[in-house]
Amino acid sequence: MPPSGPRARRPLFTLLEGEPACAPEADHGREEGNTSPARDLSWSILMARAQGGDRAAYRRLLEEITPYLRALAASRRIDRVDVEDAVQDILLTLHAIRHTYDPRRPFAPWLVAIANRRLVDRLRRRERSQSHERALTAHETFPADQTKFDDEILDRRQLRAAIARLPFGQQQAVRLLKLEEMSLREAAAASGMSVAALKVAMHRALKNLRKRLARRGGEA
Amino acid sequence: MITTPNLIDLLTANLTPVRRLRPLACACRWLLLAAVVLGLLAVSQGLRPDLLQRLRQVDFVVGLAGMAGTGILSAIAAFMLSLPDRSRLWLLLPAPAFLTWLATIGYQCLTHWISFGPDGFRPDETAKCFATVVLASLPLFLAMLWMLRHAAPLRPTAATLAASLAVAGLTAAALSLFHALDASVMILIWNLGTAALLVGLGSLLGRHMLSRAAG
Repeated sequence: MPPSGPRARRPLFTLLEGEPACAPEADHGREEGNTSPARDLSWSILMARAQGGDRAAYRRLLEEITPYLRALAASRRIDRVDVEDAVQDILLTLHAIRHTYDPRRPFAPWLVAIANRRLVDRLRRRERSQSHERALTAHETFPADQTKFDDEILDRRQLRAAIARLPFGQQQAVRLLKLEEMSLREAAAASGMSVAALKVAMHRALKNLRKRLARRGGEA
Repeated sequence: MITTPNLIDLLTANLTPVRRLRPLACACRWLLLAAVVLGLLAVSQGLRPDLLQRLRQVDFVVGLAGMAGTGILSAIAAFMLSLPDRSRLWLLLPAPAFLTWLATIGYQCLTHWISFGPDGFRPDETAKCFATVVLASLPLFLAMLWMLRHAAPLRPTAATLAASLAVAGLTAAALSLFHALDASVMILIWNLGTAALLVGLGSLLGRHMLSRAAG
């Protein structure tokens, strides 16, 4: 079932204000006319330039809308692991039908209509596939503890501890890019590091974490 | 799996200038194509002999206006519905014209499939009528679907429904100018049936392809 009722319509404009979509108080006092006109105008101009073939404008637009699409996907009961897939699906659709945007009209309703359509399709697909699945019952699981080491490796506390032992720059990269889901540009602005330095720090952090968690898994 | 920043790199690298879609201009282009196709068909079949007499009858003129109105307004609605930020209520645009057409509808064409004469059973007016309907509406329907292909990930059902109504309305209007029997019911069944088939096939194929991709 696609989401319906006021909740289904709400995130449209609260998201464009940069607020968490799941905050219930976001409903109050927010109407279409209260969206950030400056941001909408800026996106509209970027999209109009992108339609003319301006790659820099297009890159900036896609990087700016990605965090909003992530929040929108998360607010629509999309599984955390599927959020990035959903965002990419929306970006691909936007790219394919970018000629349907009319710069004389606001950008936000166009973007959110596409996003909503793709998210609803994704939820429908998930429900269809889930209707063919059955949960494993107790007698079908493996009784030995050794078979569950994957879960132990991914234990949240261990992961947090492993992150805490990383060098400061790498810790900051993981926190901003992965935990707070910022784009590279936003993370660079927040940390004062360059985009290239952030990429390197993130790469090294992942490498270190993989090594440490694998070692821990081996010990278990 | 590709990461989102990598996808953005890819999309940016593949960016080409696009021409903005103008729904009314698209509808006009399609209506022009329909006028050419149906005009050629009218020339090949010849106008019905009692056309002038029929044009003096109010019910015929009202019905004809309903058909043509349904066709034109549905074409506009189909292109409007194909845009993500336009209201779903555009689907109601052809409703008044469609109701006018329904009020004057005839079903003669459905009742004369075969005739029995001295030389046995042979296809009658209905079979010829059906062939004309298919010949007139298929190219228009295919052209409309091609022009609306960008609506596939957004509102495929609503856009296909409006498109089929547009084809049905114009085909019926044209046929009533050169065909003695009223073929409205047959045209509606054929066009809406084709639309339902397409939507159903799209849904099935989409599911099939998704399950293949997942497997």
